[in-house]
Amino acid sequence: MSIQSRGTKAFAFLFAVALIFGLSSWAGAAQINIGALNDMTGATSDVGKDYALGIAEAFHYINDTGGINGKQIKLYQFDYGYRIPEALTKYKLFKRLKCVAIQGWGTGDTEALAPTVAKDQIPYVSASYSGHLTNPEKTPYNLFISADYSTQSRGLITAWYDNKWPKKQDFGKRKPRIAMCYMFASPFSSASIKAAKDQAEMLGFEIGDDQDVSLFAIDTKSQILALKEFKPDVVLHTNTVMSVAATLRDAYSLGLGADHIIKNWGFDENLPKLAGEAAEGAMGCAPWAFFGEDVPMMDKVVEYAKKYNPGVPLEKRTIHTVQAWANVLGMAEALKRADAAGDLSGPSILKNGFETMRDFTIGLGVAPITFTSEDHRALSIARVYEYTQGEFKLLDTVDLQKRWPEKYANEWIGW
Amino acid sequence: MRKYRLIIAGLSVLLAAAFLAGCAGMAAKPTEDNFKAPTVTLNRVEVPYYTGYWYFSSKVKPTKGSAGDYGAAMGLGFIFDIENPNDYPVLMESLKFSIAFEEFVLNTVAADEPMWIPAGKTNQLRVNAIMDARSSLLSLMVTGGFQLKEKGMSPWDALEKWWTGAPEMSFPIHVQQGSAIFKAGGVIKGVEVAATYP
Repeated sequence: MSIQSRGTKAFAFLFAVALIFGLSSWAGAAQINIGALNDMTGATSDVGKDYALGIAEAFHYINDTGGINGKQIKLYQFDYGYRIPEALTKYKLFKRLKCVAIQGWGTGDTEALAPTVAKDQIPYVSASYSGHLTNPEKTPYNLFISADYSTQSRGLITAWYDNKWPKKQDFGKRKPRIAMCYMFASPFSSASIKAAKDQAEMLGFEIGDDQDVSLFAIDTKSQILALKEFKPDVVLHTNTVMSVAATLRDAYSLGLGADHIIKNWGFDENLPKLAGEAAEGAMGCAPWAFFGEDVPMMDKVVEYAKKYNPGVPLEKRTIHTVQAWANVLGMAEALKRADAAGDLSGPSILKNGFETMRDFTIGLGVAPITFTSEDHRALSIARVYEYTQGEFKLLDTVDLQKRWPEKYANEWIGW
Repeated sequence: MRKYRLIIAGLSVLLAAAFLAGCAGMAAKPTEDNFKAPTVTLNRVEVPYYTGYWYFSSKVKPTKGSAGDYGAAMGLGFIFDIENPNDYPVLMESLKFSIAFEEFVLNTVAADEPMWIPAGKTNQLRVNAIMDARSSLLSLMVTGGFQLKEKGMSPWDALEKWWTGAPEMSFPIHVQQGSAIFKAGGVIKGVEVAATYP
């Protein structure tokens, strides 16, 4: 072998070493793309912005703690302003970006996209907890880590019936009376009304006329005056927090005299701020702990809120951050299980991921989660709080599956 | 033999260059102690797209296309100066902030494309926001309803004031609840971003 040849080989070796050691930092780590569709500016931005912040913070946490079995998540998060055409546009972008799963938002766009995500086989974890999304025969790729709206409404009515009705003067003398306030035209607001009426009928309530309350309402006097004719003992609210606060304020000032039970999106830390003393005694469903409550994982939620959004004061953060974390932690667990099975495709994330969870615990005050290939209701439990003397206090926990096992298993899924 | 030495010398230069290039990222060692928070300052706000003030409800038949609730679109450009006071490059991973006209938050925007800021240098970043009167109306009604009521203003009064006044910046535009995420080595820092223009 000549000197030149030996020199050339030595150089080639050294050059390779230099490249390996010197340029290795340029090598990209494995990455999993996830899409997130949020409303930070539209009709549900009063609750959507905090949720959106929570989504991003929770994915930072997942990445900072090892990602998905070592793979980092790249989050593509967009505001769609609650405009359904824009949601469809963003969904198409997620597909082009090869997102393996999506964190979605509202009932309107989630239900509109459900057939498409089923066809495309992309797991879609939404902040819409509509009962319509829980039957895998109809919406196989829709999931969420929460009690669905129908379970919430049934649980709220039951908790009021068990805890409040026996203390009323007319208990035992007549049927309890219930009425419902919601925006008729909103798929979100009206999603659980059928189930709520079914539950009320089953428990023997007299049901009054529904009242159409816009999500933008700040004056609901005409609806309250109509309710006064019926004299309800309890009113179910299924809107978001601002219009619920407006209704509570008007009910208080006009002396309606009814109790109030509220679906999760209308029952947060802002309700007492907006409704003032009219919020006293209001009951609401909260499948997760309130922001800052002493439950497992909450320290991380608060730490990441401070770390990644220092411009947002902690006193402005709400339970919606916590529910975003719940959806992200649930999705991350499904991704880890699918990845461990060696397949990160949509069907694998569903079958090897979500649908293998049995009584899985994520912390955050969320009851254990179960998904099966026949049932996507993650929780059968409605945790009902009461706002009293400046605090949200747990009043009751209603487990529909335990209380009505036949109906829960066979009749109540999917609506 | 001379030719061979020349080749070796040339290749050695290449070798050194490759090694140094690779080692460039390892030269400075960012730590929690030596990391100085970069600053994000609003340089100005521009109105790069403007069509006046108008609003059509879904009852109005359009010349073409489908009817709907449509409001005037207005583009706003937010130009930030991002200064890195460190002796090593810093990656700005994202910048996110809310836009408020007077005290009413109407939009939240983000720039998620990572940007490297060289050691001791200042970069500029433009973040474009599309404001449209329809979305702003919804946002205003759902988050600012009580506030407007207390001020005795209707959402329409507010929209008209802002959409006609924007070209002259006749009202304060606030950047608030903003955060920029910076990374250097294993160090991650969130920096608060807030400003008012003009």
